[in-house]
Amino acid sequence: MAIGSVGVVTASARPSLRARLSELLDRESWLGPIFVSPALVLLLLLVAYPFFMALYFSVSNAFIGRPSNFIGIRNFVRLWESDAFRQTFQNAFVFCGAAVGAKVVLGISLALLLNQQLWFKRMIRGAVLLPWVIPTALSTLGWSWMFNSLYSVVNWTLLAIGIIDPPGPNWLGQKYYAMAAVIIVNIWRGLPFFAITLLAGLVAIPKELYEAAEADGAGPIARFWYVTLPLLKGVLGIVVLFSTIFTFSEFNIIYVLTHGGPMNSTHLFATLARQVGLETGRIGEGAAISLYLFPALMIVVWAQLRFVRKQAY
Amino acid sequence: MNRRVLTNRILSHLALLPFIIFAVFPFYHMALTSLKQNRELYDRNAVPLLIVQGPTLEHYTKLLWETEFLNWTKNSLMVTVLATVISLVIGTVAAYALARLKFFAVGSLGTGIFVTYLVPTSLLFLPLAQVVNWLGLGDSKWALVVTYPTFLVPFCTWLLMGYFRTVPKEVEECAMVDGATRIQALWRIVLPIAVPGLVCAALFAFTLSWNEFIYALTFTSSSEQITASVGVTTELIRGDIYYWGSLMAGAVLASVPIVILYVFFLDYYVSGLTAGAIK
Amino acid sequence: MSSLTRRQFTTTAGVGLAGVLATGIPPARGQQREISYLCWNNFAPASDKKLAEIGQRFTKDTGIKIKIDHINAEQQPAKYASEVQTQAGHDLVEMRMHFPWLYEPQLVDVSDIVADLEKKYGKAVSSAQETAKVKGIWRAVPQYHAMFVATYREDLFKKAGLKIPDTWEDLYVAGKELKKMGHPVGIPINQNLDSISTAGPILWSLGGMEVDKDGKTVRINSPQAAEMIEWYRKMFRDCMEPEVLSWDNASNNQSIQQGKAGWIHNPVSAYIVAKQMKLPTADTINHHRTPGGPNGRHETDAPRHIGIWKFSRNVEPSKEFVRYLLGRPETYNEYIMSGDAFNLPVYEKLQDHPVFKTDSKYAALKSEGVQYHAYGWPAPPSDKVQLITNSFILPIMLAKAVTGTSTKDAMAWAEGEMKKIIAG
Repeated sequence: MAIGSVGVVTASARPSLRARLSELLDRESWLGPIFVSPALVLLLLLVAYPFFMALYFSVSNAFIGRPSNFIGIRNFVRLWESDAFRQTFQNAFVFCGAAVGAKVVLGISLALLLNQQLWFKRMIRGAVLLPWVIPTALSTLGWSWMFNSLYSVVNWTLLAIGIIDPPGPNWLGQKYYAMAAVIIVNIWRGLPFFAITLLAGLVAIPKELYEAAEADGAGPIARFWYVTLPLLKGVLGIVVLFSTIFTFSEFNIIYVLTHGGPMNSTHLFATLARQVGLETGRIGEGAAISLYLFPALMIVVWAQLRFVRKQAY
Repeated sequence: MNRRVLTNRILSHLALLPFIIFAVFPFYHMALTSLKQNRELYDRNAVPLLIVQGPTLEHYTKLLWETEFLNWTKNSLMVTVLATVISLVIGTVAAYALARLKFFAVGSLGTGIFVTYLVPTSLLFLPLAQVVNWLGLGDSKWALVVTYPTFLVPFCTWLLMGYFRTVPKEVEECAMVDGATRIQALWRIVLPIAVPGLVCAALFAFTLSWNEFIYALTFTSSSEQITASVGVTTELIRGDIYYWGSLMAGAVLASVPIVILYVFFLDYYVSGLTAGAIK
Repeated sequence: MSSLTRRQFTTTAGVGLAGVLATGIPPARGQQREISYLCWNNFAPASDKKLAEIGQRFTKDTGIKIKIDHINAEQQPAKYASEVQTQAGHDLVEMRMHFPWLYEPQLVDVSDIVADLEKKYGKAVSSAQETAKVKGIWRAVPQYHAMFVATYREDLFKKAGLKIPDTWEDLYVAGKELKKMGHPVGIPINQNLDSISTAGPILWSLGGMEVDKDGKTVRINSPQAAEMIEWYRKMFRDCMEPEVLSWDNASNNQSIQQGKAGWIHNPVSAYIVAKQMKLPTADTINHHRTPGGPNGRHETDAPRHIGIWKFSRNVEPSKEFVRYLLGRPETYNEYIMSGDAFNLPVYEKLQDHPVFKTDSKYAALKSEGVQYHAYGWPAPPSDKVQLITNSFILPIMLAKAVTGTSTKDAMAWAEGEMKKIIAG
C-alpha cells in the first residue's frame, strides 16, 4: 500500500521532482520516519489518549458516571491490604510462569517435529492449529463443559484408561486442580502460536548450516544447541515476550471456567479488575489492578527488547 | 527411502501423536456435543466419547435458521479481513524501518510501539469507547475495523522485525548496488524472502481479530453490527440456561473454514520456502 | 389521529432537528423520532420476541420508532460502563437488581411513572422498592422478577416418604436420605451469584446479616453466622458432594435435569428447560417455597427494572414507551404471559396473576409469606455493599469452612475483608 501510494505521488509529479523524491526516499533518515509514521499516527490517535485516561483512572477515585478526584497512589497501596488482591498477585506469577514455561518447551518440540518430513503434513498442521482458531469465547465454554463436574469427559476418559481412581479430581472445585485446569487450557490455546511462529523461524534457517555442522561431526543435540537455538533466539525472544503479555492479561479462560474461584485461587489481574472495576463501578480501583504491574512489565520488556536487539545485530 | 529415514519418520509421527490428541480432542468433543440429541447430551450415564443414540442436526438448524448467525459471521469476516490487511501493511513498513534503517530515535520508537501492547484492554476499552464515539462510529462494525489495528499493529510490527532481521543484509545491498532503490529492494528482494513471516503475521492478526470479544461487545450492539462470538453468546446463553448443542455448533462452524484456509497458506509458504532455500 | 400528526410534526421540527444538530448524525430513517432500548436476553426467547412485537405496535400507535437490542446478562456491566463513560448509546436500559444504585447519578427520575403504576397495580414488591428506589427517588421502573424457589424430585420424596422441607433444618433431614439414595442436595458453594442467592436467605432466616441497615456496621462475625456455617458444614458432609465447590450458575440446573440432584435452590429454569428439551426428569420435578427458619422466610429474587439514561435526548418518548409496555394492563399482561413464568409481576395486586396457573408446578412461585430481598439486605445496595457481594466473601467464607477452616477463623476472615471494603 505504501508503495502504491508513493507510486501515485511520483506519477503525478514532474520528473525532476520525482527524481528528488526518490532520492529522498532512498535516504534512511527520511524513509525511516515515513515508514513508521502510519503506525505512530494510529497508535497516538487511538491508544495514547485511552492510555493516559486509564493512567488517570488508576490514581483517582473514579466511579462510573460520577465526578472523580485525584488521590495519588492510594488505590495501589490500599489494594495490597485486600486478601483477594494478594492472592491474585501470587496467582498471576504461578499461572504465567507455568503456562509460558510449558509453552516454550512444548512449542519448540512441536515446531521441531513439524519441521520433519511428514506424511500427512497438511492434516497435521491443520490439527495443531485448531485450538488457536476456534473463537476463544466459545472454545473456553467447550472446556468448561469438559470439566463440568457432572459430565466431565476428562475424568471419564482418565477413569476409563485407568490413570485415576473414582470419583476423580474435582477439577474446578479444588485449589490446585483448578489452577492446573486453567493452565492446561491456556497451554492448549497458546501452543499453536509458539509452534507455528517458531516453525517459520526454523524453516528460514539455511540447510547448509546443518550440513556443515553434521560434517564437523555434530550430533542432533549439538546441532540443536549450536545451530538451531542461536538462530531461533530472535524470533523466540519476541514470541515469549508476546506470550508473556497475553498470558498475564488472560481473562476469558478464568472468567468462563472458574470466575476466579475456588476461594480466589485462580483470579488474575484482568478478572479481578473486572470484578471490582466494572461490576461494582469502581473504575479507579479497577484500573489500578490492571496497571499494578505496568512498571514492572516495562522493565522486563525493556530488558528483553535489548536482549532481542543484541541477538539480531 | 532407506530404513533409517523410515524409522525416523515413524518416530516423528509417534512423538507428534500426543500433541495432536491434545490439540484435537477438545475440538472433537465440541463437534460431538453439537451433533448429539439433547436427551443423550444431558444423560450422565451416556458414553461421552461417542454418539450412541444417533446424531442430529437440530443444533445446527437452530443456529442457522433461528438466529442471525450467518449475518454475524459475515460481519466477523469483514471486520477481520479489513483489520488484518490494514495492520499488515502498516506493520510491514514500520517493521522494515525499525529493523533495517538507521534514523532519529529508531530504538525508542520501536519500544514505544511495543509498550502500547502492555496496556491491558480490560479497562482501555472505556476511554477508547469515547474515542470511537468522537469518530462517530458508535454501534458500527467500522469501529472495530478502526480499533483492532491498535493491538494488531504492534504485534505485526514486532513479529515482522524478527523475520526481517533473518534476511541477510548482503542480499539487499547486492540489489541496491545493481541500481535498485530501497523501496524496490524491499518489494522485490526482502518481502519475498520474508513471506513466511508475513503469512505468519497475517494468520495471527487474523486470529486475534477473529477472536476479539470485549471491543466487539462494547462498540457494537445491534444485531446487524455484532460479530459471531458476541452474537452466539448473546443468543444462546440465557441467564443460567446454556444451549450447549448450538453453542458448540457455533464453535465448529466458526472455526472449520478458517482452519482450511490456514492449512493452505501454511502449506504454501513452508513448502515454497524450503524449495527456494535448497536451490 | 390528529394529535398523532401534530406530534409527528413537532418531532420533525424540534427533537429531530435538535438531535441531528447535536450529534451530527441524521436519524436512521426520515425525520421520525427514534428511541433505543438495551435489554438483557431473557431466559425465555419467546419473551424477547413478544417485546419486539410490542415495540412494533408501539411504533404504529405513536409514530415513535424503537430499536431493541439484547445483551447477555453477564456482559451488562461492561456495556453500561462504556455507555455512561461515553454519554452515548441507548435511551432505555434494563436494570437488574442493584443497578439503579450503581448508576444513580446517570438515571432520570421516573417516580411519576411508578406512581401511576402503583395506583393501578398496587405497591411494588419489597425487593423492587429496595433496589429501584434510591434515596427516595425512583431511578428505574420495576417490571418483573424471577425468584429462587426450591426445586425437588417429587418422585424421590414420595418413594422415600420424605416430608417437603418447611425449614432449612427439615432440608438437612431429607437431604441425608436423598444422598443415601444417590441423589444429593445441590447447593453451590463457589464464586457465583447462585451461591449467594441461597446463602443469603439461610443467613436471614437465622436472623443474621452481612452488614447492618446503616450500610456501615459489619455483622458477619455473629452467632447467627456461626449457626449458618455449622448448617453448611453438616449439609456438605451428609447431604451433598464436593462437586458443589466447583459449580457455576448452571450446574445445579444440569444436575437435577439429568437426574442426579434430588433438591436444588434455583429459579424455575431447571424445570422449564427440562420440559422444553423433553428430558425424562421433567415430569418428576416440582417446586416448593424456599424453606424458612426462626427469623422467617426469605427469598432472593432478581427484580428487573427499566431505566432511562440522563444523557438520552429522548426522555419523553422513552417514558412513553415504558408507559406503553407496563402501564396498560393488557400489554403488560401479554408481556408477562410470554415469559414462561420466568418473568413474574412485581406489583402487589397482580400476585394472583394467571401466569401462576399456566402449569400446576408453578403454584409454589406465589410464595405466600415470603419476603423478597436483593443481595446484601438489610444494608442498602450501595457500591460498598455491592463490592462485598461481588467479591463473593459470603460463599468464600463457607467454602473455607467446609474445607477445613474453623468457624471462628472463617468468620474472622470474612469480617476483616468486609471491614476493609467498608472503610475504603
